[in-house]
This record gives sequence, structure tokens and C-alpha cells, in this order.
Amino acid sequence: MDLKLDGISHAYDATRVLNNIDFTIKAGQIICIIGPSGCGKSTLLRFIGGLERPTEGQVLQIGDPPAESLNPLTYIFQDFALLPWRTVRGNISLVLEDHGIRGTEADTIINDVLARTKLSDFGAALPKQLSGGMKQRVAIARALAVKPACLLMDEPLSALDSQTRELLMDDLVDLWLKEKYTACYVTHNLNEAVRLGHRVVVLSRRPGQVRDIVDIDIPLEDRLKHPALLQEKQDYLWNLMREEARAADLELLDA
Amino acid sequence: MPDLDTPTTVQTPSAAAVKPVPYRGGGFAPRPSRLVAPIFFVLLFSLWEAGSRFGWISPIVLPAPSEAFQAFMDLVNSGQLVLHLEASLMRLALGWVGGTVLGLAVGLAAGLFTLARGGIVPFVAAFFPIPKIALLPVFIIWFGIGEESKVATILFGTFFPTVIAVYGGVDNVDRGLIRMGQSFNLGWWSIVRKIILPGALPALLSGFRISASIAIILLVAAEMIGAEYGIGAYILLAGNLMAMDQLVAGVAILSLLGLSVSWLIGRAEKIFLRWRA
Amino acid sequence: MLKFNLGAMTRRSLFGALAGAVLASGFAGAAQADDKITIGALRFTSHAPSFIAYEKGYFKEEGLDVELKFFQAAQPVAVAIASGDIDFGVTAMTGGFFSLADKGAVKVIGGMMAEKQGFPGNVILASNAAYDAGLTTPADLKGKSWAMTQQGSSFHYMAGLIAEKNGFTTADMQLKALQKVGAMIGALKSGQVDAMAIVPHIAAGLVKGGAAKEIGRVQNLGDYQVTTIFTSTRNTEEKQDMVKRFMRAYSKGIADYLAVMGDQKKDPAATEAMVDLIHKYVYTDRPREKAAPSIKAGAVYLSEGAALNTKDIAAQLAWFQKNNLAPASLTLEKLVDTNFADTTN
Repeated sequence: MDLKLDGISHAYDATRVLNNIDFTIKAGQIICIIGPSGCGKSTLLRFIGGLERPTEGQVLQIGDPPAESLNPLTYIFQDFALLPWRTVRGNISLVLEDHGIRGTEADTIINDVLARTKLSDFGAALPKQLSGGMKQRVAIARALAVKPACLLMDEPLSALDSQTRELLMDDLVDLWLKEKYTACYVTHNLNEAVRLGHRVVVLSRRPGQVRDIVDIDIPLEDRLKHPALLQEKQDYLWNLMREEARAADLELLDA
Repeated sequence: MPDLDTPTTVQTPSAAAVKPVPYRGGGFAPRPSRLVAPIFFVLLFSLWEAGSRFGWISPIVLPAPSEAFQAFMDLVNSGQLVLHLEASLMRLALGWVGGTVLGLAVGLAAGLFTLARGGIVPFVAAFFPIPKIALLPVFIIWFGIGEESKVATILFGTFFPTVIAVYGGVDNVDRGLIRMGQSFNLGWWSIVRKIILPGALPALLSGFRISASIAIILLVAAEMIGAEYGIGAYILLAGNLMAMDQLVAGVAILSLLGLSVSWLIGRAEKIFLRWRA
Repeated sequence: MLKFNLGAMTRRSLFGALAGAVLASGFAGAAQADDKITIGALRFTSHAPSFIAYEKGYFKEEGLDVELKFFQAAQPVAVAIASGDIDFGVTAMTGGFFSLADKGAVKVIGGMMAEKQGFPGNVILASNAAYDAGLTTPADLKGKSWAMTQQGSSFHYMAGLIAEKNGFTTADMQLKALQKVGAMIGALKSGQVDAMAIVPHIAAGLVKGGAAKEIGRVQNLGDYQVTTIFTSTRNTEEKQDMVKRFMRAYSKGIADYLAVMGDQKKDPAATEAMVDLIHKYVYTDRPREKAAPSIKAGAVYLSEGAALNTKDIAAQLAWFQKNNLAPASLTLEKLVDTNFADTTN
């Protein structure tokens, strides 16, 4: 299943936030969306998952999601969004219960996703007992449990310290190599974009427009072996964004 | 010039006095202490008792604590305490549960639906501050002088703070969690039951703390109307008869009731909110 | 039930008596400045002698500089006298009053309102529903519900009077304490209680409006000293002269009241003048023409010369003690000081 963004524009009251965005998310690819703060990246992601509606344009699903997918468009949030009153297993079970999956069937799925995210020993822990990195792995496990056709990740690593971020990036790469999931990954961190993205969509400052779409051809597993090439891509992206970021920084938040 | 005469006043680093930086932290952090409260109470009661025994405190002003205790023991030994407690606890339980259930339903509606909020919030703001005692004559006409009017007094008293606690609690539930629920296609009722209600639980429990205290405060008012038994009726009678020892004993029972309720809710918070960081 | 450490009070009383004797002898010859006293009054027609004696200068004649302090209920008057804030008051015999007397704080010094045949007095009312169901005389009250303000109030005692007269006890009635006269009236009107007793002018209004039925009068049950004049124990011991002068002035007020209000047809002009005087204090929120009928209808009998029916007071005390509404240790001597007014019976 591919996703196509078709002429998306959006305005809050009189403020135009997004302007005529077009691109496609191809199955099995990770698309990174970068842009200066306030350019509407997260809003765009909410349109893609159907949590909000744009004032103009639409997001189209091309082809049907796989039959076994319980929740084709599944988010991973920056603040993890774990229910603090449920254990790790309970948080994963939450998203299965409404599909009528309980008991041993649920246990099988939960055990599987916990193993895939290396959390098997922490099923009974409460979120308050976990570090930020582990919380995000629980959120990823929860997302995997519903067999998504496309993962929608909203700055999933921004709330973490840099070491944890590195480790989790490795985990995401490993996971992609195994499962070849589709993802739309919003970030403001250029390093994450060049490490994880098959394709990087660069947005301008508000109102956000597509400045450029950059393909990165190096296979994900080889990227750390080519630091120079990666740095070159990152520098290129930074050059695109520098002026936008500076201008965005000077804007008043509510102006 | 003195400056020229005293070159030694210019201090070299080696000659500087060595001393620790002055400590400016500390304070502003009172810690709970298990010892202070009992000592304070024993001291207060000893002073009070002594004051009564030596005649510094007239028995018209205040009875000695030992007399109040004697009145309490009379109540225990005559078997009346059980009757009074039974009557009061029944009214408290019915009134509080009724007010809480209704308050939960109405508060949840105000927390979830625009239309309900528009109707309920100003209604609550208008009716919450009305002293329920002022409504007693109306309650007599509406509910009679039997148990109904007593339960209704407590029910009305607990209903409004519960509504406020519930919709305040619902408002404060992390919107991110609700969005998460929606993003996983959870049903509306699932979101209410599994995300909003548990998320509002801390506010609910502190609301219960307040509504339970209000229920106890209103017990005396509720038992003004034709009550034969009940702690409130006992206190009222003691007041009518100027029996200060019984009055103090009755008030102490209410106090103990309040402490028990507070302890119970404290336990509930420990059990149900252990997920809180 | 009520045990109090009275050591301090007794010591103080003893000292007070000595001091009083010294003061009395000291004052005998000297010209006196007016004694400042405070009277606790309620805005009822039955408190009229206070207003009459005040307005007509009877207190001044006795060298008393009187201040009237108004209260909403009788019990706070007793408390204020116990605390020494005011000097004289009028109250019904209630459980609270007995308790204060037992603590040595207050003493009855004269009689006020009494139930007397031929005068307006407390009326026993039945709700319409109960009346239709056969409650037509006080004797039918056995097993019926009875509204009163509080346990140990005069309404409670009236239930006791009715019960004893008719051979049963209040345990055979369902007593409903409703705290306020307004609540009692509401409960009777809506048929939630079967019966109650109430002052004549309120009863007249209820019966006339068809809200209730009269089934008897308290005065037909026998002697009943409803209210008494009382002061602090300290006044009876330390300021006997002042108390005597107060009682003289007050008795004049009672006499004036009885002469005019006791037979209102005898001298209509004097009656209207007295209604004017009373209206300065009672029903002040109503225009005179609306207040006058209530004032006239509420002209209950007040004991001549503030005479005290000690036999009835003793009977009341016994009833309250029997029902655990008064301290067992209270005696008639402790409750009443008979040095200031005549006693009857």
C-alpha cells in the first residue's frame, strides 16, 4: 500500500500553515520529513494518519493494506503516549482489546513484539519504572502489535538523550532490515534523517512548502560505513534549511 | 598619604584567609514527623484538663477532656453509640454514594460533551454555593421528614463538588493519550473507560476527599430534621441541653469519622494511583 | 450524665455573697448613680413588659439605666446571661436552661407567661389529614407524631403534659425535632406530622386559613408556668438590691400590660396606644394595621407581680429529669431564688 499526498494546504484561522504539499510514500520505504520548527511537519503527519483534516487536498491510499493489518496507519509519538496506569503488557494489550484479541492469542502477539523490541523481561513493569529509551521501545512494540502498513513517527527520538537516540536508531534500522516496514518519519534532526531516510522531504518555513525531495541511495545497513557521504548529504540538507531555520527562529510564535 | 604608607593592605593570594563559603541553603522544607503530633496532642489535652481541674476554665465555657471522655464512655456503655453510628453511617453512605454516582455521570457529561458542559457548568456554579441548610424547609416539603430528606441533604452536598472534580479531572487528562487511543482506532467507550476515567482518577480521589468531608459537615444539618438517632442529632441535643461534655464527645466522634474517611481515601490513593511517578 | 467540677463555682459564689453583703451595706446611705443593666429581649408580644417599663420610664424611676439587647431565640439569652454579657432575660424552662442552672450560672427569679383559662394561650393543632382520620382531641394523640423544635424544648414538654394528662407517655408518641417553628408549621401543613402546639396568634392564622384544625388548648391541661424571668446567680448574690429594683419596675410593666391587654375591650384607646408602643419593638417589618391583630391576638397571660408558680416549676423539673433532659443533680433551690417575687401554690 502506498500513500499519496495530493495538494495538501492548511490554515488555522487566518494563518496559513501548509501550502500545496505533494509527495508519495512508497511501500517498504522510510520517508523523512524535515523542516524548521513551526513549519507544520507534525500537522502534516496528523493528516496522513487521519487524526486531522486539511482545509484543502487529500491523502490517498493506493492499494489495500495487507489483510492481517489491524491498524494500517499507526503512530509512534514523541512523548511515547503510554498509559501510566497500565504495565508494559497492558499497554500493548490495550490496542488489541478493541479488536477482540484477548487471552492466549493476545499473549502470543505481546510476547512476539516484546521479543522483537528486546523487552521480554519488562512485561510487568509500569511506565514510571522505565527509562525514556525503553518507553519508546514499548511504544514501538505496541505499534508492531497491530501490524501496521505504515508507521507514522512524530519525532520519536526527540525526547531522548543522544546516546539513547543512537541506540534506538540502530534498533530501528535493524527492525527495518528484518521487516521492511513503511514509515513516515518526522524530525528536525538532520542526522536522523540521513541515517534512516530512503527519501528526505525538506519543508520550508511557515507556510510549509516542499523545498526539495532528496533521495539517499546508500542502503540503510551500510550508512555508518560511509560517514563522508552521509556528512555530504547532511551538509546539503543543512544548506537548504539554514536560512529557513534562521528566519523561523525570529518569528513570533503566535504571529 | 596613607595609601602609600600601607602597601601591606594589598593582599596577595597566598596571604588570603581560607574559609568555607557561607551556607545559605536549607529551610523551607518541613518534614513530616511521627513524634511531634502525639506530643503536641498530649500537651494540649494535659493543659486543657489541668485548666478545667484548677478552675481556670469554667465548665460553662468548656468541659474537661475527661468529662467529655466520660460522656463518650456513657454513650458506648449504654449501647447508644451503635444506634447513633448506624443511623449516621447509613445516611452518609446513601447520600455520598448517591451524590457521587450522579456527580460522576453529570461531571463526565460536562467533561465530554459541549452541549452538556454549556448547561451544567453555570448550573453548578449557581447551585454549589447555596448552603444546603437554607434549603432544609424546602427539603421537608419535597422529601418529608423521614430518611429521604436527610439523605437528600447529604446527596446535594456531595453532588456539586463531585461534578466539579470530575469534569476538571477529565479536562486534565493528557490529550496526547486520547489522540493515541484514536490513532489505534479504539472505540469511543473504550477511550472513556480505559483512558479518560483512569486519567481522571487522581482528580476524582481528591474530589472524594472533599465530598466526603462535606458529607460529614452536612450530617449535623441533615439530622436537624426529625432525627431520633445519629451523631448529628446527638450533637444537636447536647447543644440544646447545654451538655458541653456530650457536645465535645459528639464533635470528637465526627472528627474521628473524618480521620477514618481521610485514611481510607489515602489507602485508595496508594492502591489505585501507584502508577503515579 | 452531667458531672461538673463545681469547686471553682462554689468558691466564687461564696466570695460573691460576701462581697455582695459588703457592697449592699456600703451603698445604703450614699446617693446612687444609675446602675447600668442589659435586658435580653425577643421581639414577641409576650416580652411586652420589658418594652412598657422601658418606654414609660419605670426602670429610670428605680435608678436603672437599661439597654435592650435583642435575640432571635431564648437559648442564646440564657447563654449570654451565663457569660455575664447581659443581666436579665425571659425564657421557657428548657433542657439547656436547666443545664446552665445546674452549673450555677443562672437563677429563676420570677414568673412571666402562664397558661390561664380565659386568656389566649398555646393551641394544640392537628393536621387536616390526621383530623379527618379521627384525631380530634388531645387524648387521641397516643401513637401520633408530634412536631417540636428540639428535644428539651417547651414544645417537647407540652407533649409530655398532654401525655401525662391522658394516661400515656411521650414514648407512645413519635416526636419529631424540626429545629424551627417554620419547619414545624410546614410539616403540619403538609401532613408530615399529625399535631403540634403553637402560640395563639399563629394558631389562629393556621386554623382560619384552613391549614390545620384546633383540637385543644394547653391551658385546659392544668397549671403551666410557660416562661420565667431569670438573671445570673452572681446578680442574685452580689446585687440583690439592683435585682429587687428591676423586679419592681418590671412588675409595673406587667401590671400595665395586664390592665390594658388583658381586657382589650375595656378601653380601646388605651389598647391602641399600647399596641403602638409594642409595635415599636414587635413586627417592626409590618405596617401597623397588619401588626395590630397579631399583637392583640398574642396577648397571652403574664403572672401578676411576676409571681412564680414554684410548684409547677418543680413539676417541670421533675419531668425533664425523668426524661433525661435535665441534670439529675439540679434541685429547685439551685434553680430558683424566691427572694425577688411572690410565689403561688
